[in-house]
Amino acid sequence: MSKLNETDIQGFVLRGYNLPVARFLFLHFESPARARSLIARLLSHITTGQRWDGAKPQSTVNIAFTHRGLQHLELPDATLLSFPVEFQQGMKHRAEILGDEGVNSPEHWEDVWREGRVHAWLGINGLTPEALEARCSLVLSAIEETGGATVLASQNAAAEVINGKPTTKEHFGYTDGFGNPDYLGVERRSQPGQGKLLPNGTWAPLATGELLLGYADEAGELPVAPVPHLLASNGTFMVYRKLHQNLATFRDYLETHAATYAGGKEKLAAKFVGRWRDGTPVELSPDNPDPTIAQDPARSTNFTYAADAEGARCPMGAHVRRVHPRDAFGFNGQLINRRRITRRGLPYGRFAPEGEPASDAEERGVIFMALNASLSRQFEFVQQQWVQYGNDAHLGNEKDMLMGHHGGRGRFVVQGDETPTNPPFVCSNLPDFVELRGGDYFFLPSITALGMIAMGLVDPR
Amino acid sequence: MPNKNGSVYGLTILSPIIDDEKAVPSHDLQIRNYLAKLSTREDSPFALAPGTHLARLVVMDDVIYVGMPACEEHLKSKYLVFESNCDGDLDAYLHGLADKTPDRLDAIWKHCVGYPGAANRLAFIDYMKACQLDTTFYFAAVNDKSVPETLRALQTQMAVADFIATHQGSDMATLQHEFIQFVAHLKSLPLPKAGSMGPHRDIKTGGRNE
Repeated sequence: MSKLNETDIQGFVLRGYNLPVARFLFLHFESPARARSLIARLLSHITTGQRWDGAKPQSTVNIAFTHRGLQHLELPDATLLSFPVEFQQGMKHRAEILGDEGVNSPEHWEDVWREGRVHAWLGINGLTPEALEARCSLVLSAIEETGGATVLASQNAAAEVINGKPTTKEHFGYTDGFGNPDYLGVERRSQPGQGKLLPNGTWAPLATGELLLGYADEAGELPVAPVPHLLASNGTFMVYRKLHQNLATFRDYLETHAATYAGGKEKLAAKFVGRWRDGTPVELSPDNPDPTIAQDPARSTNFTYAADAEGARCPMGAHVRRVHPRDAFGFNGQLINRRRITRRGLPYGRFAPEGEPASDAEERGVIFMALNASLSRQFEFVQQQWVQYGNDAHLGNEKDMLMGHHGGRGRFVVQGDETPTNPPFVCSNLPDFVELRGGDYFFLPSITALGMIAMGLVDPR
Repeated sequence: MPNKNGSVYGLTILSPIIDDEKAVPSHDLQIRNYLAKLSTREDSPFALAPGTHLARLVVMDDVIYVGMPACEEHLKSKYLVFESNCDGDLDAYLHGLADKTPDRLDAIWKHCVGYPGAANRLAFIDYMKACQLDTTFYFAAVNDKSVPETLRALQTQMAVADFIATHQGSDMATLQHEFIQFVAHLKSLPLPKAGSMGPHRDIKTGGRNE
């Protein structure tokens, strides 16, 4: 396949910006004509996938729409009805399928997500808080001057800065953001372990159609997409989930259970996730974190589970093994190539260093955003089968240790072996470490499609 | 050898449904209505009778040709499809069904052509076998374990997992003492009823994720 047209694809799709501060604005469109004129105004702001070649911008802007938003922009019915059903329904309607029950159920979500009035997501990232504010005020004046939308809510997010450098730490202390897949045609410094596993043990990029609409996917088919082709092509679907983290609960749980775990606290924390908190994969370094591995792109994601079928190093239910099972299901990993998602996330809320008091009530968590060509085949499958259920991993009804909805009843088994410092260990009565505060499904169109939407030129025929 | 894999039997039965234009509602609709309300728990006919790992009943209306150019073709009849993964010997399995749940069998199969009723045991078994299709490739519910072995294994797994979780870190003497008691207790427990161990699920008609 030839190189992608990076000038037509929103930059947010093709790369993690690695910009440390962000604000997400949630818009409700006013009159359709004014909303379209707002989009026309914003077009010049939208960051594309063009290479930066060293000159990283101070800030970026990207936009995506809910199905209600597209309705409000008066896309033709024949187009609106051609979107995949799960996108038309929206995430709230999919709660049962996603296992968003109990504390995670929509009735507990923030108002903005319960009310279902969000039409668009505007993602603004900045290199500095000042750059972010400057870009936000430009965007807000475009909104005001056109009268195209009301800002229903805004969400700040920011990386933890340590010694002046933004990190990829999340609130539980883990280094995050390792496992994004490579795709054919997407220019990116690729590294082994991030695409699909080949029979000879090497890794290759996934088909473009696993990320972008309009290209062949891993089955050699074009992803299900709306008509016309020009509206869909170079676009993708985005999941937005605000995940609250119960930091006090996590620390208490880890502390209490580490007291009876012979491997020690940090090892137990590493077993939960499959990575030590500095990011070292336990599969590669089962006894201690090793920064030379964690920081080496040739090794930090380059591993498989074939030699660890019993989970003695990386537990069967460890987070990274669940959500990216690599070769764990056999068939050279081919059963998972159509279940990969690209994650774009940032933490929100104040960071509380270890030893500093923290409560569950404080506003703190991660803004989880995932991109995929098919919400139902990719994100929803991973969430339903691999996060909220355990059968594929031979774990029965067990759920993901950190992400699952346990309600105090869950269980997580550290398989271990006969080594005294690596004993089998059972974590039971799991609380909910993470709670869903809301979110929705969005369509993230190409630059061409944004122009068509702005000009009212979407023609399904 | 068809139909068997280790000790597990893959049974497929196709029974033609009575085509009677005077029947209101038609026989196939009456079967659908009955099946939709059938329990999937302990009082399912396949839980009451011994030996079923997994069973499925489907009303097959017709075949739909989806190729090009379109052509219209039809089955000679509507069929009731009964598929099951069961333990061991087919005669014993059919006997068990007829023993334990004859009313339900009759309520379903009375809408099929030539069904003699479960009370007439030999005729019943002959009928089922006459409707049987050989199967060489079928969904395998378990790894060559009988239904009682599977139920016992699930019960043991759950109990042992609970025991480990509650006794982790106990000193050796306490652990041994309580483990001996635990094993004795576990052995004394009755076999769980078939259909009792999973989460409750309503019968779904498919398309749930659409």
